[in-house]
Amino acid sequence: MNLEAVAGRFYASLYRFALSLTKNEVEAGDLTQQTFFILAQRSHQIRDTSKVKCWLFTTLRREFLRTLRVQSNHPHVEFRPEIHDAPSLSVDALRALDAKTVLEALTQIEPTYRTAVELFYLSEMSYKEIAESLEIPIGTVMSRLSRGKEQLKAILSAAISEISAKIIPLRTDEQAAR
Amino acid sequence: MTNEVAKFILNTYRPNGADAQDPTFRAALEQAASDPDLAAWFKEERSFDSLVAAKLTEIQAPPNLYSAILAGMETRSPIRRFTIGPILALAAVVVLSGIILLPMYMEHQSRTALISQYQKANLTMLSSPTWPQLDLVTTDFSRTQEYLAHMKAPCIPHLPGALLDLPTVGCKAFYWNNRQLSLTCFRLPSGDLLHVFVIDEYTFRSTNIEDTFREMDGWHVKFERRDGMLLMFVSRAPMAEIKEYV
Repeated sequence: MNLEAVAGRFYASLYRFALSLTKNEVEAGDLTQQTFFILAQRSHQIRDTSKVKCWLFTTLRREFLRTLRVQSNHPHVEFRPEIHDAPSLSVDALRALDAKTVLEALTQIEPTYRTAVELFYLSEMSYKEIAESLEIPIGTVMSRLSRGKEQLKAILSAAISEISAKIIPLRTDEQAAR
Repeated sequence: MTNEVAKFILNTYRPNGADAQDPTFRAALEQAASDPDLAAWFKEERSFDSLVAAKLTEIQAPPNLYSAILAGMETRSPIRRFTIGPILALAAVVVLSGIILLPMYMEHQSRTALISQYQKANLTMLSSPTWPQLDLVTTDFSRTQEYLAHMKAPCIPHLPGALLDLPTVGCKAFYWNNRQLSLTCFRLPSGDLLHVFVIDEYTFRSTNIEDTFREMDGWHVKFERRDGMLLMFVSRAPMAEIKEYV
């Protein structure tokens, strides 16, 4: 296995996944490095190189869970029931959001559904690979993605409303007419 | 397939189109191509997914991360080698094989027992004098699957065309061994019923299951793995009639 090529291909998407888990750039960098370090140590154990992507994301998540020592550093975010129903979301409004806001929205999804959604968007894994990585049935992946994406839309919609409310026009049409 | 079921499946379709050849999506994609409402929903869903994925890709990894990773991999610990003699190594292999293989063998045995318990539980339920207690009584197959999808119960993936022409009697969502499963009942032209149990295949992973019809307590029984689900077909109808549909 060409480790350098594997690192070059996956390090950026792994870093983004790590960032969504840790919410901290330094920790995300460390976690990504640690994952590749483990790969270098165990690369001889990976026989099917086509599964290296799945292995990397699974290992990174396991490492994250293993090093998760202080619960207060990673507060449990409860899903807000008032935004549970996914409203229709304007793609143009969504386009106006920055990447950080979208990543933050991702981290606010209920923990049960969150990882499946993160892997879907950040690793481009198929539902089968997600099932393998999380060791859950395919039907459960489908269900978690469905509910998780519903929540993501609701959270993003709330973020868009919040940003819109903060926008103060320089002058109203009435003032302009005068 | 109802639009709700199609949406449930298409929700997992990756925005980069990498799933285009996956047979799981075939029926749902075909339906989206012919149903304007579903097509509009799918288009919107893909736009949303693509946009979210693109937004997230805008997040850049730190510029020095790649070189740090390569440096870290260079300094990896060498893999430990056995220093014991060949005979000792062979003895260790034998002991370790026993430790590893015994639980695997036990697990395999336990899974084989599990499938037999599952089969027995379903047949006992069908043979019960109070049966059937269906949740939904309808002749419309799509309504049964819509109900099961609503109940988050396993639906029948890719029903054979011939079976689709049969009217249903109804369906039921329930649990066995803490696993959710579903039952959909069809009425064959002779008046006999054909029952289809669906459960997530994961429950019986790594278990060898014969996919031919067998006779059990007067029932014709057949298992079939399909798209991550394990289907169990059960009927008392003559074999010749069942085979026209399954």
